[in-house]
Amino acid sequence: MNLASPFSISLVAITALAFLGLPIGHSMIAGSILYLLLAGLDMGTAAEQLLNGMYNNYIILAVPLFILAAELMNIGSMTERLLRFCDAVVGRFRGGLAHVNIVQSIIFAGMSGSAIADAAGTGKMMQMMMTKDGKYTPSYAAALTAATAVIGPIIPPSIPMVIYALVSDASIGYLFLGGVIPGLLMAASQMAIVAYQARRNNFPVEAPTPLRKLPGITWRAFPSLMMPVVLLGGIYTGVTTPTEAAAVAAAYALVISVVLYRSVSFADFYRSVLASARTTASIGMLIAGALVFNYVVTVENIPESIKAVLTSWDLSPGGFLVLVNILLLLLGCVLEGTTILLVVIPVLIPTAHALGIDMVHFGVMVVVNIMLGLVTPPYGLLLFIMTRIAEVPLKDIVRDVLPFLWAMIASLALITFFPELVLWLPRLLGYQG
Amino acid sequence: QDKPKLRFSAVFSEQDIRAEMMKMFAAAIKDDFVFEGYYGGNLFKQGTELVALQRGNLEMGNIAPQDISKQIPEWSIVTAAYLFRDAAHLKTFFASDLGAQMKKMTEDQLGVRVLGPTYFGARQIGLKPDKKITTPADMAGIKLRMPGGDAWQFLGTALGANPVAMAYAEVYTGLQTGAIDGQDNPLPNVENMKFYEVMSQIVLTSHLVGFDLLTVSKKVWDDMGAEKQAKFQAAADAAVEFSTQKHLAREKELVELFKSKGLKLYEPDIAAFRKYAQEKYLSSDFAKDWPAGMVDKINGL
Amino acid sequence: MNPSLQNLGRWLYRRAENVLAAMLAAMFAAFLLQIVFRYLLNLPIGWTNEISVILWIWLVLWGAAFVVREEEEIRFDLFYASAPPRLRRIMFLIATASLIVLYAISFPAVLDFVTFMKVEKTAYLKIRFDWLFSIYIIFVVAVIVRYLWLSWQALFGKAPKAFDPTKAGSGV
Ligand code: NA
Ligand code: NA
Repeated sequence: MNLASPFSISLVAITALAFLGLPIGHSMIAGSILYLLLAGLDMGTAAEQLLNGMYNNYIILAVPLFILAAELMNIGSMTERLLRFCDAVVGRFRGGLAHVNIVQSIIFAGMSGSAIADAAGTGKMMQMMMTKDGKYTPSYAAALTAATAVIGPIIPPSIPMVIYALVSDASIGYLFLGGVIPGLLMAASQMAIVAYQARRNNFPVEAPTPLRKLPGITWRAFPSLMMPVVLLGGIYTGVTTPTEAAAVAAAYALVISVVLYRSVSFADFYRSVLASARTTASIGMLIAGALVFNYVVTVENIPESIKAVLTSWDLSPGGFLVLVNILLLLLGCVLEGTTILLVVIPVLIPTAHALGIDMVHFGVMVVVNIMLGLVTPPYGLLLFIMTRIAEVPLKDIVRDVLPFLWAMIASLALITFFPELVLWLPRLLGYQG
Repeated sequence: QDKPKLRFSAVFSEQDIRAEMMKMFAAAIKDDFVFEGYYGGNLFKQGTELVALQRGNLEMGNIAPQDISKQIPEWSIVTAAYLFRDAAHLKTFFASDLGAQMKKMTEDQLGVRVLGPTYFGARQIGLKPDKKITTPADMAGIKLRMPGGDAWQFLGTALGANPVAMAYAEVYTGLQTGAIDGQDNPLPNVENMKFYEVMSQIVLTSHLVGFDLLTVSKKVWDDMGAEKQAKFQAAADAAVEFSTQKHLAREKELVELFKSKGLKLYEPDIAAFRKYAQEKYLSSDFAKDWPAGMVDKINGL
Repeated sequence: MNPSLQNLGRWLYRRAENVLAAMLAAMFAAFLLQIVFRYLLNLPIGWTNEISVILWIWLVLWGAAFVVREEEEIRFDLFYASAPPRLRRIMFLIATASLIVLYAISFPAVLDFVTFMKVEKTAYLKIRFDWLFSIYIIFVVAVIVRYLWLSWQALFGKAPKAFDPTKAGSGV
């Protein structure tokens, strides 16, 4: 590549601006403007691509609505009731609260599409429960919460999968189904680690909830537990499109909180909507920046050049997937996940197509990678969030998160080499890929 | 000296017959121009190519007539149901004085020169329910997916159906789950998107001759001079004809293929559909913009 | 700064927040309306789609221009966060200067595009696209003014704030 070409200069500029601390969306827009300027193209294209791109991507509207749904769940007493339910079910085992953390994450995963929202929403309460009376060390509790939050967007619904659908044209409905088994697999691997650690380190057991109380506790958590059924049922019976399902999720969370739990005031509602809108604006800027930069990448034919290079290596599909996994795990250590999805994945997709790789399988694998990137140091948003919540040094959390990370990487390897783990469920419900 | 660059953008994929058409065209003009094709809507999104052409960010495009009619309302006439009978009628129209009249409008008002219509198949109604369709009355209550926008939705109404807007990518699942009862697309699209797997029948209404327009910016056209213009137009004509014939052959094959897959394919009472649709159109707001007497003249071609 | 000016600033900021929240609430309502009309009343309506996409564009650009704070924006802060305040000031100034220059250079072309779009209207509500896209012009102007102001503060006031991961909205 010519180092003085407009493309190289703009790539360097984007990297430099991001390293200097400019918001990533602005970095991409500014760097792309520089490219248009140097290449002698119409700089109005920056606005054209951003605006038409946002106007023509209807499915992306699922993102703000899923964010809203997560916010609305966190204001009601849904979280608390679910935690009590999890405690009643798995608290009685050795390392009970650690298992509660995992089970709670699975249930949350079925309602929310964002790992960040899961950790921010339940992290504080989980941290308090686990460290009370010195049951678990703060860094262990924080590490576990970070690791379990990873499952959130792998089990549907999933904001990263919506973004992947945007760049790959794969069906959101089937991507969602494809994530179910991998998500459960990862949770199972985490439970295995906890069970092992519980025996070795003699983790505490919680006072078992009497069985006669179980029906009542389940009943109180029931409306929340029904959320995944409402959501996925809506999609697969054709009542809602996946984008509309996000609105149904938000409406359901609101109705439960207002009508059943009566724990929401108008002020709470306003705060949730505003918080969601802020998050939407900030993720929207990433998408906007990626849309503009994508024009530069297309004009320069980058995906085709990468395809030419990779096919000249004569990789097998399996070899390509391994390469992608390594690349994404490394990138995940230093880059933010949405940026990887929006900027890196589009240049890999033509090669994946050419190698005959299934787009749903590829998508689930990519999303798992992106999620692992949230707990890999030095740059891992979930680690940062838990550092703040638990007020423990990053290096302690990293130490405690490692066993879980290895277990999840092992699950990732399984998903990579056995596409059936991803594709079995979608095919059962009609997927033809 | 450097040959001028021709950036071309289209929504169809690189595997489409029309991408082959563009390769053929590119080869025929390679002595005069450097052709750069971008497919799959990767460079400019569907429906935004026309403005890109007008603003000099593209030199060539494959533009939907619906997009032209957004800026020149008279053009909406060629987007009406049952206006053209078939690909040959379409070709005859664009070669006629009436066609020249329409083409002149785009040149004068948009600065875009139309090289020719790129046929991509007649739109047919594909349904999941097994109900026999003979006249528009049989379509009552059928949830027919149509592309978004009131012009497309109106087309659904003009077929007697209950139109539903839904993204193209969602149609397969929509049919499968029963969110919609049917869709209207040319047969090659039905094959590409595997819609036939989730439908029981295709009613061969041929209600709309599907075509886009191969266009070049007027500036590029004027700059090339008469000699190259003739060569350029001839290259376009040959490529368009090749693509049209290939589509027609493909449609014939697909009728047999879908039948072999167990779908019912049959012609309804086309005269009844045509009468119903033309009446709906002529009494609608759309027809107010149409050049006077044009429909009759086109019918007579 | 003059306290009454500061109060006015705060008041305006609250109103900008109100507008932002109202846009998301309206999008939410449009979706619910669409689902109700399509599946309960079997009357598909198209304009709800259109209004949702319009709100999405306005929400993002309005929010980015007036509401989202520096510490909430998604950024790569590995170097930025560990830099001492003085260095952070310098980094911030280089980055914002580049941003301001590039956005300003592109401004005439961007304005030209947005005003050109008067030739088209949206499919259902017939809103002219130059009006619909005008938010981008507002956005560019607001971003330039905002970063000029923040640069001024970085030069003569307090060092810019580090990014706060618990407030960042990456959505993943
Ligand atoms: Na989820
Ligand atoms: Na958890």
